[in-house]
Amino acid sequence: MTDTRSEVRFDGVQKAFGEAFAVRDLNLVIAGGEFVSLLGPSGCGKTTTLRMLAGLEFPTDGNISIGGRVVNGVAPGARDIAMVFQSYALYPHMTVAENIAYPLKKRGVARAERAIRVAQVAETLQLGALLARKPRQLSGGQQQRVALGRALVRDPRVFLLDEPLSNLDAKLRSHMRAELVELHRRLGRTFVYVTHDQLEAMTMSDRIAVMHEGVLQQFGTPADVYERPANLFVAGFIGSPGMSLLRGEARDGLFHHPGVTLKIDAAGAMVLGIRPEDVILGQGPFSARIRLVEPTGHEQIVALELPGGDPLTARAPPDMALRAGENLAWGLRAPRLHMFDAAAGHRLAVTLAEA
Amino acid sequence: MKRGILGHIVFNILAWSVVLVTAFPLIWMVITSVKPQFELFRIPPTFWPETVTFEHYVRLLTETPFLLYMRNSLILSTATTVLVVAVATLGAHSLVRFRYRGREALARLVLFTYLLPSVVLLLPLYLMMVWLGVANSLLSLVIAYTTFALPYALWLLRSFMQGIPDDLEAAALVDGATRMEAFFDVILPQALPGIISTCLFTFILSWNEYLYALVLVNTDSARPLTTGVMSMLVSAFNIEWSLLMAASVMMSLPLIIIFAFLQSYLTRGFGAGGVKG
Repeated sequence: MTDTRSEVRFDGVQKAFGEAFAVRDLNLVIAGGEFVSLLGPSGCGKTTTLRMLAGLEFPTDGNISIGGRVVNGVAPGARDIAMVFQSYALYPHMTVAENIAYPLKKRGVARAERAIRVAQVAETLQLGALLARKPRQLSGGQQQRVALGRALVRDPRVFLLDEPLSNLDAKLRSHMRAELVELHRRLGRTFVYVTHDQLEAMTMSDRIAVMHEGVLQQFGTPADVYERPANLFVAGFIGSPGMSLLRGEARDGLFHHPGVTLKIDAAGAMVLGIRPEDVILGQGPFSARIRLVEPTGHEQIVALELPGGDPLTARAPPDMALRAGENLAWGLRAPRLHMFDAAAGHRLAVTLAEA
Repeated sequence: MKRGILGHIVFNILAWSVVLVTAFPLIWMVITSVKPQFELFRIPPTFWPETVTFEHYVRLLTETPFLLYMRNSLILSTATTVLVVAVATLGAHSLVRFRYRGREALARLVLFTYLLPSVVLLLPLYLMMVWLGVANSLLSLVIAYTTFALPYALWLLRSFMQGIPDDLEAAALVDGATRMEAFFDVILPQALPGIISTCLFTFILSWNEYLYALVLVNTDSARPLTTGVMSMLVSAFNIEWSLLMAASVMMSLPLIIIFAFLQSYLTRGFGAGGVKG
């Protein structure tokens, strides 16, 4: 499975714009053929990272390698990569066929060969009927396909995708997600996918690199990132609705919070992380007031207020009778909870149990 | 429906009266140029000429250096336009795409040259031309016109190029183009309307320029139409109106032809300058 020729490495990569760091000491190894998402809020450095890999920006420090070759000073066109832009960046004055053929033309592929390859790509992406059109005559979804076709036509080692689905409507987006996964499976090439949409990252990726303020927070499988977030940022960022975070104090074998008490095998100032699905409503040792109930159809999202005023989010079955303003008993699935250091924010390896 | 038609008629009458007022000097110019000399000063004046004659045109073309001036003007305006647009296109691209120290200051400095009246620049420029050894030549005028056309062209093209997304060039680079290829394959076709309107502006500026031509050049061999026609036909004692009007008609022809073909690009140029600049 692993293909070292399309392995991507970041070794101590930094990018500074003047005094400000866009990316700080990034160490990341993406195995050949892997689908990796760079995930984070806007301004977290994920797009800069991708543009450095593309050769459109140069790192101020550190090395980037593709297939074992350091590419720091190599021009984008010589890196054997293809990129799909958020804006699609189709050349407006060229037809669809000319757009797709452009990377081949720039690499000196003969006209006849170009025509064959364009026809193949057009068939894969069902663009055959559109080849003579100009980009502005196409819908957003069709433009997206052309951008994809221009990347596919050369069969590069690494595909770079910069939020390619963010301009599509919701239905088309979920369709294209499935199509991209299928494409990745068929090609077996490395995909590096930038997104701020955790749903895209979770559903498509082999592994996710979560970034925040230019720093890599965690690099792991979607399950890793969701079930074992490395720090408070990842805990808060991944999951929708988000994890509830309760700051408290652990001493004498107990974690104390005005609304929650748990047995714990450590001491100090800590933050307890509770996913909405790990809250059991209607029974348990704790109590809370219902502030808001949001039915989504297949479940209800319940916003609770704990004694002391901290909020807690829970999921409830759609048929459970809940009314805002009422008080409710609740409990926790203790083994599935998360604990973080209150000062440094990193995950703590502790054992929790009901008190 | 009736009101629609009435409004339509009123609008058309208004529009045509504006056109007439604007175009009247031009019409008068054409009419005067085909009247015989004796009909010009008749009182009351005639609107339509009683006899149409082309003798002034013939005289102008055969007996005066008009064709030499025309050649000078064409060379001058074309050379200035090519030079200005070539430099301004690359310069505007640089000002829009590359990040370097002093980029914004540089862009503003370019605009600053506009604050100086051309009369102020005239003498220093003349002295520079003498010092360079090109005074009294077409080249000196090309250089002089470039000094005032280039800043304008730079700003016009800059606003055009700001409208071209960065991603287009990035995509071309990733697709294997060099920076130059990306510029020619992708940026230039996108900037083409801007380049054409900049060409027009520059050409018209140099074609109609009078002051610099008057001061920097005083031999017939290097005189453009503007100063050439004036010095030839206007003296302290006499103005040869028929010849002057015939010359004016022929001077306007190249611009009218260019406008007719490229006016749609020109209006786009005005738009870009207004919205973005």
